[in-house]
Amino acid sequence: MARRRGLVINDEQMQMIDAVLSKLQRVAGSTFVALISTSGQPITTAPPDVDADTLSLAALAAGSFAATRQLAEVLKEREFTLLFHEGRESNLHVVQVTEQILLLITFGHDTQVGRVRLYTSRAVEVLKPIFEDAEEDHGGEQVIDRDYSREAGTAIDDWFPRTE
Amino acid sequence: MALINLAAREINYKIVYYGCGLCGKTTNIQYIHRRVNPGARGRLVSIATEEERTLYFDFLPLSLGTVKGLRTRFHLYTVPGQSFYNASRKLVLQGVDGVVFVADSQISRLDENVDSYLNLWDNLRSQSEDPGNLGIVLQMNKRDLSSIFSVADLTELLNHTGSPVIEACALTGVGVFETLKTVCKQVIAKSSRS
Repeated sequence: MARRRGLVINDEQMQMIDAVLSKLQRVAGSTFVALISTSGQPITTAPPDVDADTLSLAALAAGSFAATRQLAEVLKEREFTLLFHEGRESNLHVVQVTEQILLLITFGHDTQVGRVRLYTSRAVEVLKPIFEDAEEDHGGEQVIDRDYSREAGTAIDDWFPRTE
Repeated sequence: MALINLAAREINYKIVYYGCGLCGKTTNIQYIHRRVNPGARGRLVSIATEEERTLYFDFLPLSLGTVKGLRTRFHLYTVPGQSFYNASRKLVLQGVDGVVFVADSQISRLDENVDSYLNLWDNLRSQSEDPGNLGIVLQMNKRDLSSIFSVADLTELLNHTGSPVIEACALTGVGVFETLKTVCKQVIAKSSRS
């Protein structure tokens, strides 16, 4: 059975990722952009202090994208490569970067969709090799070591309320 | 393994509550949401039908705080238990680090429990998940009811991996946090070894 692929993002990779997101947000006229994992976990946003519940956003966007892929399969379409939600005041555009990564872009109606799609596509080209490298899982085992495991175990015992 | 963001000093683990329809998966999550410190949890998101049956998933993010300089989070999900929602269950299982299999202890629910248990392993295998890398806990729910299986019988039926077994009554909270603690510790231990 295949070993599960992890995702470990180091400082250098995150600096490159944040630079790409920051530029994308600016040139595409986006309200904010976010990177999440296909399993529903948030990674980073631009700007960093987004006024949104990013945890819920990540879980719901990943679920929505996963469902869209399954819809494509049911309809015998090779794939729906993007997901677009049009709202009254803002829109959400979701594209896949790698097998494990999704890019979310929100923007208002004063921004043209074509512009967003163009710059998003360029950003994906830059982000893809960075995440493919991160998916090789360099250094994860050095972070979650026995000390971490032991301290986390104690924190779990202390943190959750007593069972009734 | 978990999503590790070294730059943000953050680790996220995904835990999925699995089991047949009406076994108590959502009840577990709702109890945790009610009882846990509000500062350490996010919003409980439920995608449910009008009859409050889970349609896609429930989602509850929990923050353990900072451990060795790393902010540690557990993202709890449930799957829809009804058999015809298997496509949704597969999607929710993507990237899972730990599974709580919630068994309905009632003798009358044997077939549903077995179907769900077999379905879990089919879905994990179809995603090339190595169960050896996952934290797995068997929660025997509804222990307060009459006409229930013994712990030994349910263990024989639904625990071929020899995973930890917790007796519970999710409605009143018995065993809910014990289950959560056990699976959280398991996923951390597994990720430190993988």
